[in-house]
Amino acid sequence: MSDLSDDTQAMQLPAGCGKFPREALELAALARTDRDVPIDERLAPHLVMCKRCTEAIDRFAADNAFLGEFKAIPTPSSKSGALSRSRPGAGVAGTSDEVAGPIPGYSLGDEIHRGGQGAVYRAEQLATRRSCAVKMLLGGKFASDVQRVRFEREVEVVAALRHPSIVTLYESGISRSGEPWFAMELVDGERLDEYVRRLRLDARGIARLMQKVADAIAYAHRRGVIHRDLKPGNILVDREGVPRILDFGLARADAPDAGSSPGSGTTLVGEFLGTFAYAAPEQLSGDPTAIDSRCDLYAIGVVFYECLTGRRPFDGAKSIGELVIQKTMRTPERPSALVPGIDRDFDVITLRLLAADAANRYDTADALAEDLARALDGRPILAREDSRIYVLRRNLRRHWIATSAAAIVLATIVASSVALAVAYANADRARARAESQLDAVLKALEESNPETGDGTSAMLATEFIAYVEKSLEAALASEPTDLARLLRSVGLIHLGFGNLPDAATAIERAYAIESDAYSRGEIDAIAMSDSAYAVARVRFRMPQAGPDFAGSERAYREAIELRESVTGPEDLHTIDLIRQLSSTLRRQKKLEEAESTLRGAMARSAGLPPSRERAIFDAAALNASAGLASDRGELQLALVEYQRALETLRPHVEPNNFRVGVGLLNIARTKMQLDQWESALPDAEESWRILRERKGDRDEATSRAANLVSEIKRVVGDRATVGTDGARRSEPR
Amino acid sequence: MDLDRTTTALLAGLLDPSNAKAWEVFDQRYRPILVGFARNCGLKDHDAAELAQAAIVRFVEEYRDGRYDRERGRLGAWLVTIARYRMLDMRRRAGTARIERGESAMIDLDDEQSVSEVYEAQRRRAVLSEALADLKAHSRTDPKTIQAFEMLVYHSVPVATVASELGMTAHDVYLAKSRVAAKLREIVLRLENEYEEGPGDWASKGRRPSDGLGA
Repeated sequence: MSDLSDDTQAMQLPAGCGKFPREALELAALARTDRDVPIDERLAPHLVMCKRCTEAIDRFAADNAFLGEFKAIPTPSSKSGALSRSRPGAGVAGTSDEVAGPIPGYSLGDEIHRGGQGAVYRAEQLATRRSCAVKMLLGGKFASDVQRVRFEREVEVVAALRHPSIVTLYESGISRSGEPWFAMELVDGERLDEYVRRLRLDARGIARLMQKVADAIAYAHRRGVIHRDLKPGNILVDREGVPRILDFGLARADAPDAGSSPGSGTTLVGEFLGTFAYAAPEQLSGDPTAIDSRCDLYAIGVVFYECLTGRRPFDGAKSIGELVIQKTMRTPERPSALVPGIDRDFDVITLRLLAADAANRYDTADALAEDLARALDGRPILAREDSRIYVLRRNLRRHWIATSAAAIVLATIVASSVALAVAYANADRARARAESQLDAVLKALEESNPETGDGTSAMLATEFIAYVEKSLEAALASEPTDLARLLRSVGLIHLGFGNLPDAATAIERAYAIESDAYSRGEIDAIAMSDSAYAVARVRFRMPQAGPDFAGSERAYREAIELRESVTGPEDLHTIDLIRQLSSTLRRQKKLEEAESTLRGAMARSAGLPPSRERAIFDAAALNASAGLASDRGELQLALVEYQRALETLRPHVEPNNFRVGVGLLNIARTKMQLDQWESALPDAEESWRILRERKGDRDEATSRAANLVSEIKRVVGDRATVGTDGARRSEPR
Repeated sequence: MDLDRTTTALLAGLLDPSNAKAWEVFDQRYRPILVGFARNCGLKDHDAAELAQAAIVRFVEEYRDGRYDRERGRLGAWLVTIARYRMLDMRRRAGTARIERGESAMIDLDDEQSVSEVYEAQRRRAVLSEALADLKAHSRTDPKTIQAFEMLVYHSVPVATVASELGMTAHDVYLAKSRVAAKLREIVLRLENEYEEGPGDWASKGRRPSDGLGA
């Protein structure tokens, strides 16, 4: 018979890679079977990369499953009951509390529920003989300050809420053995998901329940209370069929140091609040400031989706890390695709709730309740038809980049897989795979560019890009043409965000590498043209030594010549390069040449079939033409052309497209020059709003719009003051 | 592994009518499993004990007659079949009244698969139970480690509470859990090897034991 010391040595080694304490990994293992177990949120991104920690968690989970088997086996000590924890206050040895009752004034009955935070008992208030539920803080007097603060907060929060769908709090206190408790209404109900399953509710029945949940949540939100842990287990449906929300236990603790009391142990510092499956992506990012009431809307979305389809939107995730990535990158399947017959409106509503970016969800729970009511009444919902595409597309593209943790995780995965593939790129197949992965990265990057894609969050995106650039540069050192492609893409994104020095460095480096490669026949004319085009764009905007318009012109000419050699004259992209060449000429005051170049481009495009690209080109050309008119002093013509440009553009882009912002800026400026101040103001303000949203405050166009707005306001304000005074003087009294 | 306790050794011993030890070990091992199995199939305590007795005797008889070929199936499957036919027989004799009252509706005796599952669950229980007794009786495990394990696993006491009440750190409690898990795994593996009963399932080999009727 061997002694346990055999494995003592192995046990001394850190569990996992040592970066996280054993407790954190043990909790993560427990969380696989108990959704109430809190998890260190920093663990999620770590696990995607760390095999050792994942294996440790697998091992602990296997241990737990194995040991769980023993629960059914009788053991001598369990028969004695000495260790029974069926009631709080009963210590290991048993105490006199059992006789007196751990809570003054109450007699406790069976345990109803035990979660990560507390245990709930059936109880009776002795004075009134009233049945109620008593919740005790798990771990009782041994709990950390963090848990205690949270418990007290829970009491305050729940006590303040009075709503038919929110469980009422009666009173609270500290037990004889020092454990905090509170007594609340005893709800005789069934978990929402089980209720839906048992009654086989259809989509409309489910929607009616969700409408009541949304009403209750809206009520709580109006009082500044966020639930943060909504899930089917926290929503009971009572005998009257009314959903009742329990456990505002994770409601936001406003105390700033609530999560980091000294000595509370590392697992508590970043203790993850909420339950993974129902947690919004921003809750997974671990940034408490990113969390607002819209995380509850996400949770309602998961619950709604689950009730409608019988599965959670991201059911396939095998690890926490995978779940994070899915939540931020994927759009779940439409409920109606899983369960035929579900109204499309419910598709739109659920997917809207499940938007990765909180900004794309409903703004308030009231708005959700309203849309559910509309859908049930057969009225058009406010999440409009076009927003179906909007929501889907947004989820797919724009917002995967906005959640920093997931983006960094993703970058690491992609970078390392590309690096591996490149390292082993001897075989053609491996080579092809490496290229397709690189393509995927580049495509993803391009979509974060506010000018070509949907990127908005400048800081996160640029950090992300810098990270990818660094990760990939080393990997691609032996593949200069791949590196050049990467640098060019990265440079263009920097350019899109107005980060000009970084843009110039990356793009000029790419150009040098690609010129060399082109001369050796390693890349084709189109790639070389794209490289020259990037150079042309960045030189056009260089801030420090001043824009290099002449250098830009040379690069445009090179790009046009290269591209035309392949595509011939009737290629919209080539024609657009010619239009842009005209801008560099205009900036160099070669106005006549600019004019004739622009007219040439417009004439060439006239023969092309109508398309979205064509419309965007036409709008840009009209803008350029208006600019030339303005230079000639023909302001009225310029205004008309700017307005025509905007009309041409609008049907083809989203309302907030940055080109719309620029168009409005041009119109406002021209109106100002024409002394039409009042009508310039709304255009300028709208322009400022769009540009700020799409390009950030640092952008040059944004600051021009901002300056324009303040200038117009000053002038309009001055005039209004004069006008009002005049009016007052003319009043009869 | 205790070679005298393996199924192979037991079966060899059972061939010798004078080998009281083999009979005793076999009985100790399989009787509780069969009793628990019969109870879970809906029998009352008295009937369950009777069934276990009859099934064991029947098995030993058939085995000595050379009707059990180990290469063709597991011992447990053979026992289950004997016991199942025996129970079907009891049910026939008792008439259908009791079934209609729902008393034996816990398990469908006609469903071989679920009957086997009930037996397998009992067998596993027996292994785990023996493993637990073995852990306490033989290993020199620190009593506190076992206590921590019991509080944690049997009584679902939160780690922080276990740690505090036993004067350990939470880390120690988790470590205790891992140690006990590792030790129990080792014992269970050894016991499972001892219980090892031969490959396959007789049902797929086309040969069946006697239906156990007419005993």
